[in-house]
Amino acid sequence: MRPAQDNQGSFLGRISIRRNQFVDVNNEQEQEDLELFQRHIADRFTELLSPPPQQQPPSDEANTVAPVAATEQIMSVTWLRKLMDVFLCCEAEFKAILLMGRDPTQISKPPFDRLVPEMLDRSIKALDICTAVVNGIDSVRHYQRLAEIAVSALEQRPLGDGNVRRARRALANLVVALSLEDKENTSGGGGGGGNKTTERSWSFGRRSGGSSASKGGATIGQLKSSSWAVGRNWSAAKQIHAMTGNLNPPRGNEAAGLPQPMFIMSTVMVFVMWVLTAAVPCQERSGLANHLPVPPKHLSWAQSLIGIHEKIGDEWKKKEKKGSAGLMEEMTRMEKLGHSLIEFADAFHYPAEKEASESAAAQVAEMAEICRRMEEELVPLQQQIREVFHRIVRSRAEILEVLEQAGKLSAPVV
Amino acid sequence: MAEFESKLPLEKNHVFEACHHVVKALRASDNNLDANLRKLLSDLESHLSTFVMVDDTEVEEDAGFSEIKERFKEAEKRILAWEQNQSTILEAGLSEADHFFQALYEVHTVLMGFSVKANQKEKDVYNQATVALDIAMLRLEKELCDVLCQHKQNVNLETLAVSSRGKEVVYNDESFVSLDDEVVVVAEASSHEDDADLVDPLVVPHVKAIANAMFACGYGQAFSGAFISVRREALEEYMFFTLEMERLSCVDVLQMEWEDLNGKMRKWTKVLKIITRIYLPSEKHLCEQILGEFDSVSTSCFVDISKDTVLSLLNFGEAVAMRPSQPEMLERFLSMYEATAEILLDVDNLFPDETGSFLRVAFHELSRKLADCTTATFLKFKDAIASNESTRAFPGGGIHHLTRYVMNYLKLLPEYKDALNSLLENLEVEDSITEITGQDILPSTFSPMARHLRSIVSTLESSLDRKAQLYADVSLKFIFLMNNFHYMVQKVKGSELRHFFGDEWIRKHIARYQRNVTNYERSTWSSVLSLIKDSNDSVDILRQRCRLFGLAFDDVYKNQTRWSVPDPELRDDLHISTSVKVVQSYRGFLGRNAVRIGEKHIRYTCEDIENLLLDLFECLPSPRSLLSSRRR
Repeated sequence: MRPAQDNQGSFLGRISIRRNQFVDVNNEQEQEDLELFQRHIADRFTELLSPPPQQQPPSDEANTVAPVAATEQIMSVTWLRKLMDVFLCCEAEFKAILLMGRDPTQISKPPFDRLVPEMLDRSIKALDICTAVVNGIDSVRHYQRLAEIAVSALEQRPLGDGNVRRARRALANLVVALSLEDKENTSGGGGGGGNKTTERSWSFGRRSGGSSASKGGATIGQLKSSSWAVGRNWSAAKQIHAMTGNLNPPRGNEAAGLPQPMFIMSTVMVFVMWVLTAAVPCQERSGLANHLPVPPKHLSWAQSLIGIHEKIGDEWKKKEKKGSAGLMEEMTRMEKLGHSLIEFADAFHYPAEKEASESAAAQVAEMAEICRRMEEELVPLQQQIREVFHRIVRSRAEILEVLEQAGKLSAPVV
Repeated sequence: MAEFESKLPLEKNHVFEACHHVVKALRASDNNLDANLRKLLSDLESHLSTFVMVDDTEVEEDAGFSEIKERFKEAEKRILAWEQNQSTILEAGLSEADHFFQALYEVHTVLMGFSVKANQKEKDVYNQATVALDIAMLRLEKELCDVLCQHKQNVNLETLAVSSRGKEVVYNDESFVSLDDEVVVVAEASSHEDDADLVDPLVVPHVKAIANAMFACGYGQAFSGAFISVRREALEEYMFFTLEMERLSCVDVLQMEWEDLNGKMRKWTKVLKIITRIYLPSEKHLCEQILGEFDSVSTSCFVDISKDTVLSLLNFGEAVAMRPSQPEMLERFLSMYEATAEILLDVDNLFPDETGSFLRVAFHELSRKLADCTTATFLKFKDAIASNESTRAFPGGGIHHLTRYVMNYLKLLPEYKDALNSLLENLEVEDSITEITGQDILPSTFSPMARHLRSIVSTLESSLDRKAQLYADVSLKFIFLMNNFHYMVQKVKGSELRHFFGDEWIRKHIARYQRNVTNYERSTWSSVLSLIKDSNDSVDILRQRCRLFGLAFDDVYKNQTRWSVPDPELRDDLHISTSVKVVQSYRGFLGRNAVRIGEKHIRYTCEDIENLLLDLFECLPSPRSLLSSRRR
């Protein structure tokens, strides 16, 4: 559990502070700022799409078992953390453009009297997604614990039938949890994204009345609406859909002004929320792949974003058919390793055959490495998402304050 | 299980044994052996050890081993017997539980006693022991869940102090939303010491024994996992079913109607206190009882159990703090803020270290946010009063609903005096009482809250002064001001507010409405009574003056019976003082001049006047026709 401050330096340093120097924003200056903003967006997402050559320290002991590139791969937990940084940077820069040195009345006039409330509305929906995702990461931490149990059981020497039995049980639970769809996770009206289901059958079908052990997920505990992470009937997919409903690229002379960065920022926000929702278990996401309209291809800032979107979208469609708890790269690998280790376990006879146990040992080591990475990065990721949450809240408040100054949102009552 | 032994000629066996010893000696001799060589030796050794060596010592070992094996088989049987048994070990009684743990100990001993040089039989037993252990562990995990569920206890809310606050019904109009009559149940977590027992204390030692066994056998994670999941479910059930809290999204909270949200905020405040001051300390206590020996495990289990529920409480608070503040939300905000400020210490104790620090920090942040919201709402409340304008005069000159609203609102605030004082401490305000004067000695009269309350009321006074200007009839203006100031004074005097406003304020404001009484009497009655002043007039003129007085009186009667002085005492006082003035003057006038004027020219007797005056300020629906009812 590291403090959140750890990951703040990375984006704060990158915020363009040059706007501070210009209180008097003339049109030319604004144009320049807008262009710069677009370029920064493009740069940041390009870096996310194809990370620069690895600077991974070679001393990493896991190098031999885990492919180095995996750490930075799209949807890996490290990559997701970078994505959060990118979001925070974009958001800070956007807010500077929107608010700094600007006459408050400017953003209360048409078309902003429509665009700003729409944007604020989107940001509230994003908050709920953050909550759901933070909860979803808890589910991932639950998978991590199952994997850790399997690892520690399979690391026993000599490896006895009892150890394998134990590992087999944890792996079965793990694999079932990883391939559960939201619908199954939440059937019966709850489930906050998967962890509730699987945790309830931590090792066996508790509450099933029978003592039949070791088939995790076989009995999905009676789920209750209380287990929703966000609220009854809340659906991540529907929220994403609602966020994109009125999100259209500005046309005509609006395209040259402030509506442009507003559109960009909203697109980035929806995109980031969409990615998070796809990455980890999340309350109700059927049809998620269809919900994100791709920004027009000719927009230069959007190229890399579209590239990432396509990659993830393809993966999601593939997974959606067979069911998946999330596209986080580590989870995908965990699932693969899980299946393969179950095979090993099923074929296991005491005493272990040398060849089989060596190849299993390599897989166990890889699994251990994934667990280690999750142990290191999941909590910071959660903290970043809560940071995003608070940032959105703060920005919303600041924008409302400016609008209030503009006298357009004067006290609604009395 | 098929046991096969390599039957080797005795001589060869000796050679193997010798080899084995050499290899062992070689490995033991030098710790700095080359890694390759070490591996080679170790392989060789394990290879050699697969051959069974039959010699004298072996026979002796065998005897010891068969006893171990015997005991293991016994233990295994015991463990397996529980596989078919649905009831808990706990139910079977103390000695059964002891037997089970004893069997587990045997199995564990076999596993611990295993050495690399074990022979095939020993290895087989070892292998069987791993299975037996796993079966036993799974059985204990089930036992844990069953026992925790069967012996779960809820916090008994009846033991909590319950207090209620009655509230005045307030006039409802288009601008100020009413405060309805409501009974507030405040859970006062008075005694921290006696935590509630969330699980029957009688079963705690059993659960602790399960914990010790599972941790000793390397199944600690399984224990924590099961423990967390059962306890978390219990907490969720308590929070979302027993206490009927609801999970709400930010979108829900921001879109909710004020009436609905009001109830939810109220509930939140109550639940927050129960959860953080009673339930969670008890939960933490339970974790410590059971896992106290594994300190960090106890902490992390507790955080994992409570995190989800606590986050959902935090989320609601955050969402509420995002609502645009409206004056009518002040009290709810105050109570939410006060609740968070009150529980900060409890939260610090619940999550003192790194593992739960994010929850601790989140509560402190939420409290700060709610403080900001509350202050903003408080200031908005004042702004709203200042900007409350009317376009027409308030009919009847009674108590304006703004006055009622504000005063009843203020009456709710002393309850939150600590919270308000700390919030308003650094907020500048203009105050009518600038320094400590003779009469006021209570410190509360000079607290930040008191200064702000007086300032709010003076804002109200300005607003009332503006509203008074709308009256065409100057007398009615005085009645209006008198009513409203009197109402303010009554509200202050009759409640906790008097300690804040202070005696000087009360005195000044009593003087103010009494001045209005005098002003009223002068403006209404001076001209009327001047008609019957003493003078040496002729009979004709006397008759004329008597007639004019009657007409003027009719006029006053017609108007002022429709006016309103809602307070019966104030009305009585007004009747008496008016009566004293008017009736006395009239009696004097008649006494001196009745004979000259002549009875038929005198419209009202003194008694008539006295009775009629009692109808004034009765807020009668329509003017009473005097001529038909009174004319003789």
